[in-house]
Amino acid sequence: MYYWHWLRHIVRRPFTTGFPTEPDPTVARMADSGAVHTVTVPEGPFYRRSVALRHVDGGSCNGCESELGLLTSPDYDFSRYGFSFTPSPKHADILVVTGVVTEAMIPVIVATYEQMTAPKRVVALGTCAIDGWVFRDAPGVRGRLDSVIPVQVNIAGCPPTPADILRGLWAAIEGEPPPLPHRDGASHAEKQYELVKGESR
Amino acid sequence: MADNRLAQEVFFAGTHGGEYGEWLQAWQAERAEGIETLLLDAHNQSLSVWGLDPDAHRVTQLVWRPPSPDSVWAADPAPSRVGIRETENAEPFIARTWPALPWSSGSPVVRGKGVFFYPLGPVRADVAESVEYRLAVMGDEMIHVDLRAGFKRRHVRTLVVGRYIDEAWPVVTRFTTTSNVHHTLAMALAVEKAWDISVSPTHTLLRTLFAELERIVSHLGDLAVLAVSTGLPLPQMEYLHLKELVLRLNYRLFGHRYLRDLIVPGGVQLTQWPQKADVTWALNTLATVYRQSSDIASGLLNTPSFLDRLHGAGVIPASTVAQVRPVGPVGRASGVSFDVRQALPYVAYVSHPIQPCVETSGDAYARFQVRVRELSVSLSLARILLEEWRDLDTGVQAARVLQMLKGPPLYSPGLGIVEAPRGLLVYGLYPHKDSGRIEHLAVATPSMRNWSAVPEAMANHNIMQDFPIIDASFSLSVSGWDG
Repeated sequence: MYYWHWLRHIVRRPFTTGFPTEPDPTVARMADSGAVHTVTVPEGPFYRRSVALRHVDGGSCNGCESELGLLTSPDYDFSRYGFSFTPSPKHADILVVTGVVTEAMIPVIVATYEQMTAPKRVVALGTCAIDGWVFRDAPGVRGRLDSVIPVQVNIAGCPPTPADILRGLWAAIEGEPPPLPHRDGASHAEKQYELVKGESR
Repeated sequence: MADNRLAQEVFFAGTHGGEYGEWLQAWQAERAEGIETLLLDAHNQSLSVWGLDPDAHRVTQLVWRPPSPDSVWAADPAPSRVGIRETENAEPFIARTWPALPWSSGSPVVRGKGVFFYPLGPVRADVAESVEYRLAVMGDEMIHVDLRAGFKRRHVRTLVVGRYIDEAWPVVTRFTTTSNVHHTLAMALAVEKAWDISVSPTHTLLRTLFAELERIVSHLGDLAVLAVSTGLPLPQMEYLHLKELVLRLNYRLFGHRYLRDLIVPGGVQLTQWPQKADVTWALNTLATVYRQSSDIASGLLNTPSFLDRLHGAGVIPASTVAQVRPVGPVGRASGVSFDVRQALPYVAYVSHPIQPCVETSGDAYARFQVRVRELSVSLSLARILLEEWRDLDTGVQAARVLQMLKGPPLYSPGLGIVEAPRGLLVYGLYPHKDSGRIEHLAVATPSMRNWSAVPEAMANHNIMQDFPIIDASFSLSVSGWDG
């Protein structure tokens, strides 16, 4: 019966670390400090307590989907910051678009964007959505999300790690991503890494 | 490498110069003898079917060369009439190569009193790929399902034409990221066959380790989706945590969470290993994942609310199994005992034999069982491979191999046949005979074939509430279909 798992998790320490508000060297190592780029600093009031995300796949290789799906995992648990996925664009505050943006998906992306109520933010997830990446010259590929709808935040990476996605979502709300802890001194990060490695033994 | 040469011995089953129908009959007869179809390909004014004889461990090719292409097409029957449907989803690609080809299977129109249509997609679920389901529902029961794909074509096959192998590499690794190791491996095997490059044993071993790690990640993710589709978020979270654990292990050992760009023609390319490798830690982590995943699975197998939803949901009808011959865990859950690792061993599966995990009921429960058992097998194998691993005996002479690939190939086509996490994956590479640039690339992905079994499995006395469970139990990738 599954109740035993339940009980075990009550007494066990949570898998979730405080990242990105608290240092987690393991996650910080995988993240890329230059991944998140705010294109336009969002202006105006934005409700910051519960932020619903609508994801649209504009022609991805499913790597970004895999990483985006891991935001709900106990290791990242993005609901701590009020994020959640929503099936309906009408309930969404942030539109997350992955993939190369194919011509076939452009009307779908535009329709989804128009169905969202203001204030709304758009995040281009992955290098494909930013500039088409290796599929730039493919037939039927637009390759740039910002040529379709206004984009506030770009999250680069192929695929970006869940940590970068979390920081990018943060940037979509606050205007800038939280700093990556323990990235300035490489030796310090190494030390932390050794420490964590020892713990997991 | 012995396994490379094995597949190189292609047995030409024959070339048909006559009627198209006769060629189809020959293909059907070949299938009746137990030869699994690998790849349907249109190239160089001929249609060819590559098959695999699992008993003789050899590859066959059946070619149809129309006497005059323009006149023959008009009178041809649609391929489904002979009962061959494995390549149903490959046909649009072939149709693009040969626009005159009448590949339109068509779908019946469903109408009547009390029939409702639910168009679902391309924007659907929480995080999902773009595909549209058109569900025809009568009361609670789904009576007909149509799938509409093509939203996310990136034209990988077209994009690589005219490129050198190394220029095509970044595109091939991004066909489907969750199976990128297998896509790269299939391409690498095809290249190595075409140019007759041998791979050292330690590189082969490491390639197998990458493949198994990818299978572990894929199966853990699929099981997580299946768990939550029945409304059980706790096992989903536990599976997702294990998936993240293995992804972090990948990163620490090899520098990329999805092990991208590690397999290159001629071997593997490592930037990190072995400086930062800690084999003991990696072995312990894999042991933890093994223990916990078995624990979750046994917990689920003792949860009646989970089993009730899975038993009898999404049974693939026997006629569909016969026509489509689904591959991978989906096929093995329907009694198709076919696993490339066993039928035509490649890389280190020659020395580490695999027995296919087979179930016969063909429902969501069988697919769950097959994935759970394959996960355990993969985890044990990954541990064995990690223990066997020693320092790389030779580095890849990248510059030399690169130079070689810009010259004439020795064989054409080169075939790469692997068992991806979702099933049979074949790359057929036709390099230019002088320059080595890619002239034509044929790819058969497991998702491409398995998607054609989904509508029949769904519209098989299932109710709307079963839809997410059936969808999750197939766990197919749309990018593998729409590549």
